[in-house]
Amino acid sequence: MLERLYNLFLHFREYVFLSGLVILSLVLLSLNDAPQVKQIRTIATVVLGVIQDRVSFFPAYLRLGTENSILRRTNIELADQANQLREARLENMRLRRLLELKGRGNYDFVAAKIVSKNLTLLRNTLTLDVGEADGVHTSMPVVHDAGLVGVVVAASRHYSVVNILLNTDFRASAKIQRSRVDGIVAWDGARLTLKNIAKTLDIQQGDVLLTSEYSSTYLPGIRIGLVSAISEKPGSLFKEVVIMPSVDFIKLEEVFVMTSVPDQERIDLEHQAEERFSR
Amino acid sequence: MHRYFRSALIVLGLLLLQTTFVPFLAIGGFVPDLLLVWVVYTAIRRGQTEAMTAGFLVGFLQDVAATQLLGLAALSKTVAGFLGGYFFNENKTDQTLGTSQFLLIVVICSLVHNVIYFVIFLQGAEVSLLWTTAQYTLATTAYTTALSALPMFAFSRKIRS
Repeated sequence: MLERLYNLFLHFREYVFLSGLVILSLVLLSLNDAPQVKQIRTIATVVLGVIQDRVSFFPAYLRLGTENSILRRTNIELADQANQLREARLENMRLRRLLELKGRGNYDFVAAKIVSKNLTLLRNTLTLDVGEADGVHTSMPVVHDAGLVGVVVAASRHYSVVNILLNTDFRASAKIQRSRVDGIVAWDGARLTLKNIAKTLDIQQGDVLLTSEYSSTYLPGIRIGLVSAISEKPGSLFKEVVIMPSVDFIKLEEVFVMTSVPDQERIDLEHQAEERFSR
Repeated sequence: MHRYFRSALIVLGLLLLQTTFVPFLAIGGFVPDLLLVWVVYTAIRRGQTEAMTAGFLVGFLQDVAATQLLGLAALSKTVAGFLGGYFFNENKTDQTLGTSQFLLIVVICSLVHNVIYFVIFLQGAEVSLLWTTAQYTLATTAYTTALSALPMFAFSRKIRS
């Protein structure tokens, strides 16, 4: 090996010697402080800079794999953060609307998140993340800034179940805002309807429907929906009125439980009267 | 040893001539390079390695004695010695030195030597680098080659005798 190296050196000794002397000369040149040397240093710096710029891609290319995986991970993290921010912004917007609702009257509200939702059954319900520990009890109305959502039908310590408008057990006294016509809102399994509307009563498509003062469960004036269709069946005394709910139950995520209940004395009296008549 | 001593004496003599007498021979500001002729002579006579050594040492002495840039003449004369060494043929030394071949070798070595020398020397000067380098290189090469005709004639006479 050494012999081969020595032979190689012998073969190229002139070049090795030339290189040594040239390097020595350049070292001597670099010791000068003349303007020529300064100029050469400047040129050398520029040339080296250009060369480094041209070849700098090579080590970068070698690091490309690692860099790619780091960037991919960062991308995932950033995308996750962006999603969280977007969610937070949307939640903020929804909560602001709910707060506006809260500010409309002197009612007590408990904010709740929907943790479960059934919208394909006859008896559709929501499950909320608030319960008795939060002051939520059965028969309390549940609302959204868009309008009435339903009523609490069961409450555990930390959760509660809500019968929404789209539930065959749901009933609410309602009133047409424009003409003050009263009726009962009910879900027939396919449509939300306003019952007990005589053919002679004034009701039009697009009328706004609100909860009425006659309800012992719901506070009056909560928006329920709009009259979307009116039809009359031959041989019937009543109109068939279809209501489009104000609340989009598919998109619903947060609600308020209204902990203010109507006058308890009135409720008790009405119950007593019912019992007396039913005897 | 005697050879090296004699070479050293010749180099010193040539250096003295180059720095004192040769400037008086300047034509249009251009002067011949006696030391370069010596380096080419060494290359033809002794080969590449000795020519490079001679070139470096002679150039270094010239730098110390005459030029403003230490190492510049050493660099250019080392390269000239290296080039000149390619024409070394120990069986035909006198023939090379005594014919126009010598002049041709001087032209080649001088061109390369002067390009290196003036490209570096003229850095930062307020002149056109390309034009001035070409001017100085060609003029100095021509003058040096003309002067190298003297040793060529001397060797030519030696061959004939």
